[in-house]
Amino acid sequence: MTSAAACKPTDPWLAYSVTMDQVTPETPGVATYDLIFTDNEVAARYTFLPGQFNMLYLPGVGEIAISISGDPTNGDRLPHTIRVAGNVTRMLAGLAEGASLGLRGPFGSSWPLAGNTGKDVILIAGGIGLAPLRPVIYALLANRHLYGQLTLLYGSRTPEGLLYPGEYDNWRTRGLDVQTTVDRTTDGWNGNVGVVTSLLERMALPRSEETVLFTCGPEVMMWYTVQSARECGIPDENLYVSLERNMNCAVGLCGHCQFGPEFLCKDGPIFGYDRVASILKVDDL
Amino acid sequence: MEKVTEFPEFLPASELQSLLDVLMNAGYQTVGPTVDQGAIVYDEIDSVDKLPRGWTDRQEAGKYRLEQRDDDAYFGYVVGPHSWKQFLFPPLATVATAERHDTGWHMRTPDDDPPRYAFLGVRACEIAAMRVQDRVFMGGSYIDPIYKKRRDSAFIVAVNCTQAASTCFCSSMNSGPRCESGFDLALTEIADGFIMEVGSDAGGEILKKLPTTSSTRERLHQAESARQQALDQITKTLDTEGLRDLLLDNLDHPQWDDLATRCLSCTNCTMVCPTCFCSTVTEVSDLTGDHVERRRQWDSCFNIDFSYMNGGVVRNGVRSRYRQWLTHKLASWEDQFGSSGCVGCGRCITWCPVEIDLTQEVAVIRRSTTNTNPPNTNTGAAQ
Amino acid sequence: MAAQNQTALQLIRQTGFLNDLSDEELAKIADISEIQQQDAGTVLFQEGTVCVSLFIVVTGSVALDMHVPRRGQIRILTVGAGEILGWSALWGSQRMTAMGTILDTSTLVTIPGQRLQELCDADREIGYRVMQRMAVALSRRLLAARLQLLDLFSETQPA
Repeated sequence: MTSAAACKPTDPWLAYSVTMDQVTPETPGVATYDLIFTDNEVAARYTFLPGQFNMLYLPGVGEIAISISGDPTNGDRLPHTIRVAGNVTRMLAGLAEGASLGLRGPFGSSWPLAGNTGKDVILIAGGIGLAPLRPVIYALLANRHLYGQLTLLYGSRTPEGLLYPGEYDNWRTRGLDVQTTVDRTTDGWNGNVGVVTSLLERMALPRSEETVLFTCGPEVMMWYTVQSARECGIPDENLYVSLERNMNCAVGLCGHCQFGPEFLCKDGPIFGYDRVASILKVDDL
Repeated sequence: MEKVTEFPEFLPASELQSLLDVLMNAGYQTVGPTVDQGAIVYDEIDSVDKLPRGWTDRQEAGKYRLEQRDDDAYFGYVVGPHSWKQFLFPPLATVATAERHDTGWHMRTPDDDPPRYAFLGVRACEIAAMRVQDRVFMGGSYIDPIYKKRRDSAFIVAVNCTQAASTCFCSSMNSGPRCESGFDLALTEIADGFIMEVGSDAGGEILKKLPTTSSTRERLHQAESARQQALDQITKTLDTEGLRDLLLDNLDHPQWDDLATRCLSCTNCTMVCPTCFCSTVTEVSDLTGDHVERRRQWDSCFNIDFSYMNGGVVRNGVRSRYRQWLTHKLASWEDQFGSSGCVGCGRCITWCPVEIDLTQEVAVIRRSTTNTNPPNTNTGAAQ
Repeated sequence: MAAQNQTALQLIRQTGFLNDLSDEELAKIADISEIQQQDAGTVLFQEGTVCVSLFIVVTGSVALDMHVPRRGQIRILTVGAGEILGWSALWGSQRMTAMGTILDTSTLVTIPGQRLQELCDADREIGYRVMQRMAVALSRRLLAARLQLLDLFSETQPA
């Protein structure tokens, strides 16, 4: 859960120079941008933990907080899966391979893998929320023998919105049970229809006390996911959510990302449910 | 900075200019109080003629007026709309630059060459506020180089208050009115001059160059009486007993709805507050688009889009924005930085156009919450 | 018959749906239940037909489609292990609001609605527990429907 700012620069405002190496269209309005550091020394020093994010910088346009969605053992190439939602992301989507931009990071807390070896792990993602969880999948599968049952429950609006479908079979082969569901169907979909919490409720949990659950998606989805998980007997201290707020400086100095007493840029974005349960219920906090 | 150890010296009123001169000769940019637009503000001054000699302030919720005194005291007032944060945490600052070259964007830390400030007239509550901001800007994993550079080089000439405004409640926050530490020199003004206390080696060095004499017992007694007067004049209190839990347990209290009918979300309180630190960094580009600056400027949690995210505003109403400000200042701050964010200076009360007084708002919540353990009750019985 | 009822009892237990009931009480329900194995593609019930049976899904999944003029069959939900279908069989002759088609090969517990109704009337304790579990299942279904309705994953554009 601690942030691994392994290559913290002395100036928290200064961005590294990166190049856009590859752009992979994912779903309508969503693409993955692989970024590479121009400075090899920075590339060598940079590491991140699953769940952490970078501030991507387009000079003249602005910065945007994006979770790193790649393999944490590969610090050279940093994929970021981004949905167009505003000015910066719209400009980003217009950049071509080879484009130059800035990057500050990594920031934030991470999904707690180290302390949960031996447990069954359930990942519940909604929409673009699979992007910050993909590094967890890579880390879990790279150390498969250290964990019990591994399950991914993933919901999207439509089948076209499901991220990384080309990887599901590979994940299944390596020991991750992947189940998907959609809110509404299109022709040719023969999978689940309905909310992702229903998939959780259908699961037999052989040892709920030894199960940890990580969830990332819209706040309402995460809330009901957590409540279902609690009803299934997963202890509060085994539940983790990833929250979002306006992010401006990402270094705890500007005040924008506060959620109650928490700074999402340094205390979060990943929180144990027990830590934030009381403030999650408060409207407009 | 060490606690006061030296035996206090006396500087005649007529020699106050020497303090400014010695500081300027030592390379400091002297900043002090001065009258502007009907208020006492902080500005660069090089002469004691600029000081608000013979002026005092009358402050109440929503009201600030200057009045002539019947003496010619240099520091016979308390605090105005300015605080020292504008010098340590500038309202506008360039935090980074980016230049487009053929090889791509080059990001740089801008040259930062601020003056070494000497602040004349820093009150105890203001020292406390600087300490609060020190924890914000320098106490975490990421240190703001802009604040640090200015704070490390600043010379503090504190002034012990000899009176209090009706809006002052520093004693409730343990931040005054007496300057105990955190200064290089501290002055207490008496009829014919100033009792000087040394708070650091740097302060001692400056004092050596001033035409001071040993204080007489009589003068020391006058200084003590003057300082006591400030304490005696404080009428406003904030009950801080269990305040953090009181506010965080009452996030749905109806008083927030009541505040929403009064608060204009005008941001005055956050602008005058010496500890508020919210800011926003935006892009400023020249016409070619090849030279970009990242500019940080003061912002406020009361601004409507301060919490904007993904197509909507999280705190979409005065109710949630006022609640954010007050619960952050008096409650969450303790979780974040280990102390209250409030130093009891009273500025937010004075400068609120609709006369909201946070000490009263807290009192309303405290009175109307069901609390089986009233504060300050010692039943003596085992719980 | 006894052997099959034993299996029915075990399977109903497996679904977790009526776990509040004792073995003795559950046996009474098992006595009136049938176990069905259905292959993918089988139509379990048509939209608009009278609902005569309550179904509890043991394994597999059932897709629910509603017909909308000019839009055709719209899949609104898939129902899986531990969930119920056809609850209105229990309290009257209401009609199915969707067509149910087996999606993955399924094992279902089928309980004739009228006989279950009679059992609940005769044994109020059982009746109360059955209605309680129905209420819980329906409230879950309602919440799930609301979450679908909220369209939480829809794209949001800035103002």
